[in-house]
Amino acid sequence: MHLLVASIGFGLVTASILAIAAVGFTLQFGVTNILNLAYGAIMTASAFLAYAITTSGLGIWAALAICSVASGIGCVLLNRAIYTPYVRRGTGLFGMIIVTISVSLVVEFTLQAIHGSSFVSLSLPATRSYHFGAMVFTGLQLAIIAIAVLAMLCVHVLLRYTKLGKAMRATAADPVLARSCGISTGRVIDLTWLVSGAMCGLAGVVLVINVTSFDTSTGGEFLIPIVAAAILGGVGQPYGAMLGAVIIGVSTEVAAGLFDPTYKDMVSFVILVGFLLLRPQGLFAEIATQKEVVA
Amino acid sequence: MSAAWQFYFATLIVYLGVDILAVWGLNVQFGIAGIGNFAFIVFQATGAYTMAVLTLGPPPVGSFQQYIGGASLPFPLALLAAGLVAGLLSVVIGLIGLRRVRADYQAMVFLVVSLIATSVVNNLTGLVNGPAGLSLIPKPFAGLGFGLVSYDWFYAGMTMGVCAIAYLFVRRLTRSPLGRAMRAARDNEHAAAAVGKNILGLRMTAFVFGGVLAGISGALLVAFIGAWAPGSWLYPETFVFFTAIVVGGAGNDLGVATGALLVPIVFLETTRYLPNFAAPGVVDALQWVMVGLLSLAFLWFRPRGLIPERRQRFKPDPATQRRPAPVLASGPAAGEKVGLDD
Repeated sequence: MHLLVASIGFGLVTASILAIAAVGFTLQFGVTNILNLAYGAIMTASAFLAYAITTSGLGIWAALAICSVASGIGCVLLNRAIYTPYVRRGTGLFGMIIVTISVSLVVEFTLQAIHGSSFVSLSLPATRSYHFGAMVFTGLQLAIIAIAVLAMLCVHVLLRYTKLGKAMRATAADPVLARSCGISTGRVIDLTWLVSGAMCGLAGVVLVINVTSFDTSTGGEFLIPIVAAAILGGVGQPYGAMLGAVIIGVSTEVAAGLFDPTYKDMVSFVILVGFLLLRPQGLFAEIATQKEVVA
Repeated sequence: MSAAWQFYFATLIVYLGVDILAVWGLNVQFGIAGIGNFAFIVFQATGAYTMAVLTLGPPPVGSFQQYIGGASLPFPLALLAAGLVAGLLSVVIGLIGLRRVRADYQAMVFLVVSLIATSVVNNLTGLVNGPAGLSLIPKPFAGLGFGLVSYDWFYAGMTMGVCAIAYLFVRRLTRSPLGRAMRAARDNEHAAAAVGKNILGLRMTAFVFGGVLAGISGALLVAFIGAWAPGSWLYPETFVFFTAIVVGGAGNDLGVATGALLVPIVFLETTRYLPNFAAPGVVDALQWVMVGLLSLAFLWFRPRGLIPERRQRFKPDPATQRRPAPVLASGPAAGEKVGLDD
C-alpha cells in the first residue's frame, strides 16, 4: 500500500510533464493538421539549450523561460520555412510525415554531432523534500506539478475564453469555413505554432529537470508516452490529452513501482494497443477524417 | 584486386541484395498499397532473430547469451522459417495498424510499434538476449570448404540468387490484377471499395507479403554478419529504406532497387572514406543528418523519384462505350475493370 501511494506520487510528476508535452503535441496537430514527429527532437534541443544556459551560470528558472520562448519562435520558423512550403508544393499527408521525421533526424543528429553521445545532467538547486503521507516530492517536483497545472489552466482559458482560442478551435474544425468567416487562419496557425512550440520547449526542460541525466535521444524516446497520451485522448483534443497524460503517467509509474521499472514503456504500449483495437478514435473525439493540411 | 578489396566488394553486394529485398518488401507495402509502415525494420529484425535462434542450437547451460527456443535447422529451412515468422507477425501487427485511419496517423502508430518493439526486446532479456544481442550465429554452408574470400563471393552470389527469385514474385504481384487492385485501394479507397474490392484484405495481403520479404532479408543479413542486436534495428533504419524508395521512385520495382543501390550503399558507404575531420561519432551523426536532408531534397525537387511509377493505362472497355461494340471484341475480363487512369 505504501509503495502504491508512493508510486502514484511519482506518477503525478510524470503525468505533469506528459500533460505539458501531450497538450502541445495534440494542439499542434489539431489546429495545423501537421503531425509533427520532430516534437521529441525539439524537446531535446530545448533541454540542451537549458543545459547550456545553466552551465553559463544563469538559473534554472531563467532557462525555463528562455527555452520556452526560443522553442516557440523556433517552431514558428520551422513551420514557415519548411512545413508550409512543402504543403503548398502539394506534399501529401504521408509525405509530410517523411518531412517531419527528416527534420527530427536533422535536429537530433546535429545536436549529437555538436555535443557527442555522452549523458549530461543539469546542475539544479538543492531543495528539501516534502512528505504528503507516503508520497515524497522534492521542491523541484512540486514546481513541475505547479507549472503543469498552471499551463493547463492557461490552455483552458486560452481555448475557452479568448478570441484567439475560439479562432483556433474554428480553424481546427473547418479551416475553409473559418477563413470565410473572416478568421485570419494564417495568423492563427502561426500563433498555434508559437504556443505549442513554447509548451514543447517547456516540456523538454521539465523532463530533464526530473531525470538524473539525459542525452540527445531523450526527447525522441519520450515521444512514445506523448503519442500514447495523445491517442488515448483522441488526437487533436487538448482536454483528452490532459486526461491521457494522467492515465499514462500514473499507470506507468505504478507499474514501475509495483513490478519492475522495465515495464514502464510496456504499460504505455498495452494501453495504446488496447485503445487502437477498441476505440481508435480515442476517448473524446471522432477521428480526424482525411482532410488535407491547411496552407 | 587484392583480397581486402574483394572482401569489401563481396560484402557490399550482400548488403545491396539485402537492401534490395527489403525495399521491395517496403515498396509493396508503401509504394503499391500505400501503407506507411514505419515499423518495417521490426519485421527485418524478426527474420534475423528467427534465423539466429533456429541455427544457433539450444543455448548451452551457463552460456553468455540466453534466448528462447533454439534449434539447429539447415539454412534453407531457417530462411523460410524467418519469412514465415515475419509474415505471422505482420498479420498480428496488421490487425492493429491497418485500421482505417489517416495516412499520417497510421505512420505514427507504426512508428510507436517500432519504438516499443525495441524496448520490449531490450527489457525482456530472456527473449533474445536483450541489449547485448545474439552473436556467434553460424555461417551457412561453411562446411563446403570455401576459402575466406571465395566464401564471401559465394554468399554474395547466393544473395543475388534470392533477389532474382524474389524479383519474380514481386514482379508477378505488382503487375498482376491483385497489384492493380492494391494501387486502386491506395489511390481511391472508396472507388475501389465501390467496385467490390476488399480494402482491408488487399492491404493485409500487401502487408504480409512485404513482411515476409523483410524477414527473409533480415535472415540473409544476420547469417552473413553473424550477430544481431537492438542497435542494428533502431527506428531510423526504416527511414533509410523510405529514403531509398523516395529517391528511387515509389511504386516502381526497378526504381526502388536503384534507390537501394544509391542510398544505403553508394551514399552511406562513400561517407566512410571522408577524412576523419572530427571527433569519433561525428561522421556517423552527420550521416543521419544527410539522410534527412536527402529525403527533404528529393521530396522538394523530385517527389516522384528518379524512376517514377509508370502511369497505368487501360484500354477503354467496349462494354461501356457509347458506340455499339463489335460482338467479338476481346476487352479486359469482367473482374479486371479497374479503370483508374491516374
